[in-house]
Amino acid sequence: MAAIVPESPNSSDQKVVVHLRSTGDVPILKQSKFKIAGSDKFSKVIDFLRRQLHRDTLFVYVNSAFSPNPDEFVIDLYNNFGFDGKLVVNYASSMAWG
Amino acid sequence: MDGNAMYSKEAVEYMWKAAIPLQIHLDESEVTTFPAPPPAFVLGTRIGYLPLLMPVLKPYFSNVLPPGDDTIWFDYKGLPLKWHIPTGVLFDLLCAEPERPWNLTVHFRGYPSGLLTPCDDEDTVKRSFINSLKEAAYIINGNCKNIMNMSEADQLDLWQSVLKGQMDGYLRVSSSRLKLRPLGEDCLLKKIPNNHPQSNTSETASIISNQTGRIPVRLYVRYAKEDLDDLDEMPPVISWDNISYINRPVEIHFEEGKYYTLRTAMESLLPEYGIQTFITKADDHPESSSASTPDTFEQDISNCLKFKSKIKFIRIHGIEPAPDIPLSWVFNNLSNPDYFLHISVTVLLENNTMSTRSLTS
Repeated sequence: MAAIVPESPNSSDQKVVVHLRSTGDVPILKQSKFKIAGSDKFSKVIDFLRRQLHRDTLFVYVNSAFSPNPDEFVIDLYNNFGFDGKLVVNYASSMAWG
Repeated sequence: MDGNAMYSKEAVEYMWKAAIPLQIHLDESEVTTFPAPPPAFVLGTRIGYLPLLMPVLKPYFSNVLPPGDDTIWFDYKGLPLKWHIPTGVLFDLLCAEPERPWNLTVHFRGYPSGLLTPCDDEDTVKRSFINSLKEAAYIINGNCKNIMNMSEADQLDLWQSVLKGQMDGYLRVSSSRLKLRPLGEDCLLKKIPNNHPQSNTSETASIISNQTGRIPVRLYVRYAKEDLDDLDEMPPVISWDNISYINRPVEIHFEEGKYYTLRTAMESLLPEYGIQTFITKADDHPESSSASTPDTFEQDISNCLKFKSKIKFIRIHGIEPAPDIPLSWVFNNLSNPDYFLHISVTVLLENNTMSTRSLTS
């Protein structure tokens, strides 16, 4: 079955600066700022952190406040919650903000 | 709040009570008895979430299930349903021609972890809801202190109200604790008069910040070919890759004496598509108040000429609102309890201008 899909409205090639900040006892990454494609999903950020930190369980937040659904696009998160030209992502080994 | 033209308690009540009749079949692979159990008939509230039907469906099907642990999930015509999207939004998006009862398949085994985010229990759904609420608060107020500072008891109250569809309980907590009124007291898109008493109280500060008017929107777009005549002929959605999901706030700009309408919002969210549907709407219902005025009619015509691909319809809570409704009314009355306005849109794409890719199932 063929389905039609246009270029996604999220397919803009805008890059987003993500600032990764550790909370609690999770190690700090050597490089804390990354540029990633706005069309990537938030799950890519979560997977990246899990790989870097070798942890299966990691709680990932934005602005020390909430955990967006992994399905969200990075560009949407940036437009909604970014400031000073970046999106702040916090990570912790336990639930930090309920 | 009552007596306010921009808030209709009646509309909000309808939204809370609205439910979709569901006919739920147990997936064949999980049936261990002969004959298979008859489908379950339940009402799914529009503002609710599918996994919350577990307490009804589990006992109903428990006798026939194979041994193992239960993780509930649903599919519609083979498409695993994202549980964090409210049931009414899934229905508006996936059933172009509303199907009643809505036939869904329930699964208790074989959770498609690659396609859906994990959902262990009611608490997972609650966390997702509160999280969404925080996101909305952040978009509206620039922070989510009101929710972060909420007591555990209030948070639970709020969630229980959503779970049970109790509007009064929800309004009691939300009006005293959340204070998420992005459009100010009168909800009108007018400038605060200069003689408005100014003070440094947080109340005034919030009204002023409201003038930036950010409205949290989750938009879901599906596509069809432009020559589609009959909604019944629309092929089912076979993958979430065929849906565009956009989580983008609408920034209301204030213009003296003018309302910022749903149409303006759609133009800012989906600038690549024009709104076509409303010409036919006006023709179909000449008596309806939503019929285009000469001005908007001309706007419709020019949109039709300008855009090759068009928005066929917009649905919010099963309603196809007229495009010239003030967005503030739509938000005040039709946003979900998570304070997001969930909008389902169907776009007709012109056959030869779009870039297509074929997906084989």
